[in-house]
Amino acid sequence: MNLMSRFRRFPFWSWIWFILGALYFILPLLATFEFSLSWDPEVPFKAYQRAFEDNDFWETFIFSNVLALATIIVSIILIVPTAYWIRLRLPEARRMVEFITLMPFVVPAIILVFGLIRIYSSPITVPFTDLQLMQPLTNFKAGTNVLIVAGYMVLAMPYMYRSVDTGMRTVDIRTLTEAAQSLGANWFTIITRIILPNIRAALLSGALLTFAIVVGEVTLASFLGVNAFGPYLFLLGQHRAYEPAALSFISFLLTWLAMGLIQLATGGQGQAAGAH
Amino acid sequence: MAYLSIENVTKQFGDAVVVDNFNLGIEKGEFVSFLGPSGCGKTTTLRMVAGFEIPTSGKIKLGGADITDKAPNQRNVGMIFQSYALFPNMTAAQNIGFGLAVRKMNAEEIKQRVDEMVGLINLEDHANKYPYQLSGGQQQRVSLARALAIRPEVLLLDEPLSALDAKIRVSLRAEIRAIQKRLGITAIFVTHDQEEALSISDRIAVMNAGEMEQVGTPFEIYNFPKTQFVANFVGSLNNADAEVVDPDNGILAMDGVHFKTAEKEFTRRRKGDKVKISVRPERFSFAAEPMKDNVVDCIIENITFLGSVVRIQISIGNTKFNMDTFNNPFLDLPAIGAKEQVMCSKEAVLVLSGEETPQGYLAGVAG
Amino acid sequence: MAQTAVTVKGSGAAPTNWRAWLGVAPFFLFAILFLFLPSLRLFTASFTNSSGNFTLENVIQLFSEPFIVNAYKLSIQISAVTALGGGILGFLLAYSVTVGGLPSSLRSVLITFSGVASNFAGVPLAFAFVATLGRQGFITHILRDYLNINIYDTGFNLYSFAGLSLVYMYFQFPLMVLIMAPALDGLKREWREAAENLGASTTQYWLKVAMPVLLPSILGAMILLFGNAFGAYATAYALTGGRIGIVTIQIGAQIRGDVLYNPGLGYAMAIGMVAIMAVSLAGYSWLQAKTERWLR
Repeated sequence: MNLMSRFRRFPFWSWIWFILGALYFILPLLATFEFSLSWDPEVPFKAYQRAFEDNDFWETFIFSNVLALATIIVSIILIVPTAYWIRLRLPEARRMVEFITLMPFVVPAIILVFGLIRIYSSPITVPFTDLQLMQPLTNFKAGTNVLIVAGYMVLAMPYMYRSVDTGMRTVDIRTLTEAAQSLGANWFTIITRIILPNIRAALLSGALLTFAIVVGEVTLASFLGVNAFGPYLFLLGQHRAYEPAALSFISFLLTWLAMGLIQLATGGQGQAAGAH
Repeated sequence: MAYLSIENVTKQFGDAVVVDNFNLGIEKGEFVSFLGPSGCGKTTTLRMVAGFEIPTSGKIKLGGADITDKAPNQRNVGMIFQSYALFPNMTAAQNIGFGLAVRKMNAEEIKQRVDEMVGLINLEDHANKYPYQLSGGQQQRVSLARALAIRPEVLLLDEPLSALDAKIRVSLRAEIRAIQKRLGITAIFVTHDQEEALSISDRIAVMNAGEMEQVGTPFEIYNFPKTQFVANFVGSLNNADAEVVDPDNGILAMDGVHFKTAEKEFTRRRKGDKVKISVRPERFSFAAEPMKDNVVDCIIENITFLGSVVRIQISIGNTKFNMDTFNNPFLDLPAIGAKEQVMCSKEAVLVLSGEETPQGYLAGVAG
Repeated sequence: MAQTAVTVKGSGAAPTNWRAWLGVAPFFLFAILFLFLPSLRLFTASFTNSSGNFTLENVIQLFSEPFIVNAYKLSIQISAVTALGGGILGFLLAYSVTVGGLPSSLRSVLITFSGVASNFAGVPLAFAFVATLGRQGFITHILRDYLNINIYDTGFNLYSFAGLSLVYMYFQFPLMVLIMAPALDGLKREWREAAENLGASTTQYWLKVAMPVLLPSILGAMILLFGNAFGAYATAYALTGGRIGIVTIQIGAQIRGDVLYNPGLGYAMAIGMVAIMAVSLAGYSWLQAKTERWLR
């Protein structure tokens, strides 16, 4: 093979695009990191120290994690049986359910919170009467917590459902169920001992994605007045310079951790959540 | 001087030698099959003729010109892929016309040629369909028409039938052969299916681990295989260990039983040489004919009815052999355990060199 | 309840009775309570005037009120720009690690990173860009100290339309990469070989075969990117504090109860936005179905 054809095969342009892309990705992160270290030349991690010393940080961060956990658990309880049921007993409902899981794309966070507030800031009444069943959800804290978890579930629903559905498809749930039935198992046993363990990777992937969405979320949290990490970070950015940079960098590392784990769990399929 | 000659072509990928010193001359209008198991180098050799691989050493000449280094889009050879490779964004007709459009023919000429090709493959009603609307067999025919439309000098077919159902495979291979004969176009057909190769080729090149073991007509390959591998790969074969007894008269002994062979090189052997004796199952018979050279005693071990063929397992000495005979409702089959005499001609007794054979009567199960 | 076996429904079974629909009832209930009811509320409210009667005025005002028209114009502009820009860049990047021949280790790095970057929107992203291109930013400094270029002198401002677009691109083009990489994988090697075999050059192959086959995917992905940018709120708010009046920012102001003489307008804006997102999603789905059909 002569020299010219060997040169022809070197992916010159591919490298250029890749390097450009890499630069665009990395520079902002580098800048954030560099900035976060530049508060006090003698104590490079001062920004991180101060950030972690703030009680409000821990309060909001832990609370956001709790919210994420709640979202994940309730989502799984809601979605896994539904996906299973559709596969096995009610294929007719598939189109409808899939349509519903696409709806959050059409109703982004800002619209969702608008609607949620408008409906649930009035008392819940029995239709056509004046009987009040419950105070407006937005009036009390537990109420807003319920609302925000529900809102997060809606935001995460497309990804969670798609993850679980794909997981069930690869494992051939139908045959497993038939085998389990022939051995005498009831539906509860089947779900807990056969279905759930076999879709572990899918569940993990969905859970990590939900975690990534919830912990940094700002829109729902600030409008519903919930004491979450997102609004805290935003407020911090109004008053402080270096701590927000430090926390942003940490947040990036956490997202990377979550995505990396997803890659490991699913063997290489990337997952994207939309913009916030 | 052959029309297409592949001269001393070798291909290496790193340390692995995938094609080793391949030599073949193909005449114009000839249909040659490359036959062998997966990994034997047949597809790689084909791709070198197409230009998708460059030989590590050696030359490829077409019509006298050296095309070894020519880019694939300059060679004017037509290629058919196992997975059809039809362009999904074009109809069948547009696919067929693609090569012509690339050559900047005018619309009038293209339409004429495309219509001609569509008629050749009998898909007039499907010409405006997209690939996803066509069955596998139809897609492959379109692929054939697409390659033929540009009037290539050689047609290269890379396991074109492997992805199709058994019935379509049989009818399509006959169609391909008929078209090839009608157009008089030179063709190379790669396959691992010996029945395919035997039924449609002018000549077969049997390949094994990068080397060409034998090339010849189907008749020659089947009846006069030169190596163990070829004899086992094409058709089924009985194999056993034997020893040379009398080289000048072609006598060898297996388990003490004497066999006469007509193998040409036998006189070169020496008494006591360890060899392998091979006999095709259908060359044995019970009928007594004065011309048969080998008459040996055997015991009937088992009888299996396979439809048109009855397979009788016999033991000669300590070795079990398969014997195939055509089914006949009035056949008088011997009982199991009976002692009988079987015979075969000396030409049927093959003494072949080479490896690749499991021991005993299970050697070379067909397919 | 515990002993009820789950019967598997085979094909050709009798039509399901209503009992089977009970199984998906919780899901539907959830969707109704927290997705459809809120949306419906917004929908009906946008057709209600302040006295509670039906009116089309709110919707009509969407097209006449200047600040609303401007908001939509801005949103459409920024979504289109970042969809196009992010789409092209993302495509080139996806191309480089698939067909373009870079080592496969780089591909998995890119995919992971794209997953990260497309999730990294919102407040942290805004801060990251401030640290990069803000007045005291990393790149701003480098350009000023080493190359004597003061970008703020040339009129560049991170807190402007251009700056916001740049920030949006950060989550747009990873999304494009994640969509296009599998699509590019779908380009079978044999198509290129068949084209070459029939005499086509590389350019001809791309023009006549590869691009037409990829076009539905590319367009569909760009439409998705459009919708993605249109619905973004937190990033814009964190970066510009509401100064750039895109639709989401305006709606946010409405929720807070900023002065608006007709609250119905807020709802109408929301519905207008939902309409645009719905069209975008429909376009994407249609193109997606077309792709799948072709590449069966």
